[in-house]
This record gives sequence, C-alpha cells and structure tokens, in this order.
Amino acid sequence: MVLLVENLSKSFGNNEVFHDISFSVNIGEIVCIRGKSGEGKTTLLRCLTSLETADKGSIKINNMYLCKEDNNNIKYAQKNELQAIRQEIGLVFQNFNLFPHMNIMENLMEAPLFLKNDARENIKSRAEELLKSLELEGKEDSYPFQLSGGQQQRVAIARACMLNPSVLCFDEPTSALDDQTRGQISKIIKYLSSEGIAIIIVTHDNAFADEIAHRIITMKDGKITIEEQ
Amino acid sequence: METKVLRMLVPMALEGLKVTLGVFAITLIVSLPLAIVVAKLRMSNNKITSKITGTYIYIMRGTPLLLQLMFIFFGFYRVPYIGYPFSREQAIIIAFVLNYTAYFAEIFRGGINSIDVGQHEASLVLGLSKIHTFMKIILPQVIKNVMPSIGNEVITLVKDTSLVYILGSSDILKAARSVSNVYAAFSPYIYIGIVYLVIVAVLTKILDKIESKYNYYR
Repeated sequence: MVLLVENLSKSFGNNEVFHDISFSVNIGEIVCIRGKSGEGKTTLLRCLTSLETADKGSIKINNMYLCKEDNNNIKYAQKNELQAIRQEIGLVFQNFNLFPHMNIMENLMEAPLFLKNDARENIKSRAEELLKSLELEGKEDSYPFQLSGGQQQRVAIARACMLNPSVLCFDEPTSALDDQTRGQISKIIKYLSSEGIAIIIVTHDNAFADEIAHRIITMKDGKITIEEQ
Repeated sequence: METKVLRMLVPMALEGLKVTLGVFAITLIVSLPLAIVVAKLRMSNNKITSKITGTYIYIMRGTPLLLQLMFIFFGFYRVPYIGYPFSREQAIIIAFVLNYTAYFAEIFRGGINSIDVGQHEASLVLGLSKIHTFMKIILPQVIKNVMPSIGNEVITLVKDTSLVYILGSSDILKAARSVSNVYAAFSPYIYIGIVYLVIVAVLTKILDKIESKYNYYR
C-alpha cells in the first residue's frame, strides 16, 4: 500500500467539503475519483499534494505521514520531512502549469537540480529518457507555447516523473483533449502504472474512468463510495 | 552670437550632463532592486509590514518630488532625534531613490500579482523553496510583464533629474538657464531640449532591446 488516507475531513469556513474519508491505493493501481463539480474532488487532490491542509485525519504516503491525527488535532510533517514526502507524490495540473519562460529540458531539470537529487548528467539523461518514452524527442529546446495541448500535458507528466514519485495525481486529464490525444494519455497512464506508480485521477469523464480505472471512488455530499472495476 | 552661446553652453552642458546622467544611473541601479524588496514587503501577510510600506508609498507618490528634495536637504536636519544634515549630493540621491523605489515597487507589485497562482503551486508541488520559486520562476516572468511600465518611468526619470536645480546642483537644464541669462537668448533651451531627446532616443532603443529579449516566449 503506497497511499493511505484515513478519516480525512476538510471544510472551508462553515462549508464542509468532505467528511471522514478513508481509502487506500496500492502500488501500480489506477484509482479514479469522480463526482459532480463542487463535490470536492479537486480539494481532495489538493490535500493529498499538500496544496491545501486538511482539518482532520491522516495521510500516509510510502510509510511517511504527511499529516496525522494527534489528540483531535491534525499535525503536519516537519519542514524537511515534508519535502521528502512531497517528492513522493506528483501532480499533473489541469492546465499543466509549465514554466513558460523555460524550455522543455529546463522545465524537467529545474526541480531535481534544485533538490540536488543526482548529478547533473544523470538528471539530464533521465530527462532525455522520459521525453523519449513520452514521444517528445526533439522538443528539448522548445518552449511550452510552441507545443500542442497534448504535448504540454506530456511535458507536465515528464516533469512530475523526474522526481520518481510513488504516486502521481492527475486533475481532469482529459478535459482539454480530443479523442486521439485522449487515447494517448490513457496509454501513458497505463504505462506509468505498469512501472509501479500509483495513479490517482480526478475526472468527471465517466467513459474515461470506466476504461482506465482499477477502482472508482465516487464523491457525493462529502462522502465516498468505492467500487472495484 | 550663436557661436558665443555655444562656446559657453557646451562646457557647462558637459559638466551638467555628469549630474543628469549620474543622478539617473544611481537612482535606477539602487531603486530597481530595492523596489522588488519593497513590493514583497507591501504584499506581506504581516499587516504591520504591509501597512508601513503602504504608508511610505502613499507619501512618496502623494507629494511632489520637488518637495521631497527640499525636505531632505533643508528640513530633515531639524527633525528631532533622527535629524541629520545630508550633503547636497546625498539629499538628491536619497530623495530620488525613495521616490522612484515607491513607483517601481507598485509596478512590481502589479507584475507579481499578474502571475498565475498555478506557477506558485507547480513550484510548491515540485519541492522548490519559496526563494527559489520567486527568483527563478516568478521574477523572470514579472520582469517581462512590467518592462513597458518600467520603461515609462525610466524616461520620466531622465526629465525629473532637472529638479536638482532646487538644491543648487547644476544639471544640463541649469546650464541652459545660465547661458540664456547671460546672452538673453532662448536658443540654449532648444539645444538642451535636443540633448534630452537624444538621451531618451538612446534609452528607448535599449528598452526595446530588453523587451524583445523577453519575446522568446509567450
């Protein structure tokens, strides 16, 4: 089990987004989270990736607690531990959020270079490898605005994979894609899962979820139901 | 007559050019980086910090630069406890830097606000530190966005340097006035007007170069 969420709750003021949610994700598993807009799917994803802090409950990623319950208070990991946990869980944003002023290679290498994960040459060859496997060869020196939406998304995936995450989250990955690129992204996600990366996908695209998911979590009225595929 | 005018004007204008360009360059070099710091302080979550910075910007933008020059040179030494008699040169640099930092800071604040929050979030998820995110991800994009407004202020600054006459400093406009008084001629003003135009033409070229340097991405 690579991700364990227990009794997680989150409110914005008086508005409770979700309450007492628990689920787990295994190595290489693809889990889709679906539900109508406003049901808190994205907020849940943002809690997992620590862009948002939860109010209650615990999140355990790769045996490290991002946050845990402590005497009815939530306690988040310390700063340096937090950085290690963040590297374990990547996120591909709905609008990708590539760095527009950096070329593709720089986009990929920025974080691992900053985190000093490896020697520069190794980081570079890892980036080249990833670009090759995501069919982005020859785009190293391009800038994000020069790429199509599907290509930008693949760059965002590659950028997240540079940190070797155990879990990779996707926020509405099919929202901006035509049918062909949609087929491509589902192929890539299946490939990543076969490499042992746990995948969490927030989507309202039911057909896509049915096609790709090992398990589907449905969010409604702040609660979840889980179905195996 | 005109040769006499020019014979007197040219050496005086060259001396004055040192003052004009000196004030211009020092103000720019000091206030641009300072303005980024002030903009960050202004945007700080700490209410006191942002309030103090806001008041500073309000005073600098709300009073004439001419008055600020006079206050720092003629008035500041009378202030109890912190008063200090600045030299003419010090007063000029302090007033210009304080004034332009305030304007530049507001431009930078707008520029920082214009950057999509997604850039911060992507950096956070990738594990970049706050400082690294600001310096490497946010600031380069801010500079591209604010270049046109900064350019405007830079050109205004060239002309504002003529205010130093109030403290008795001799810039190029002062040179024109002196020569004009001696020969009862208006032509020195025309010549100096042309000098301003030449300076601004060169600056416009440089600013265009910088702007197009940032055109490599959208």
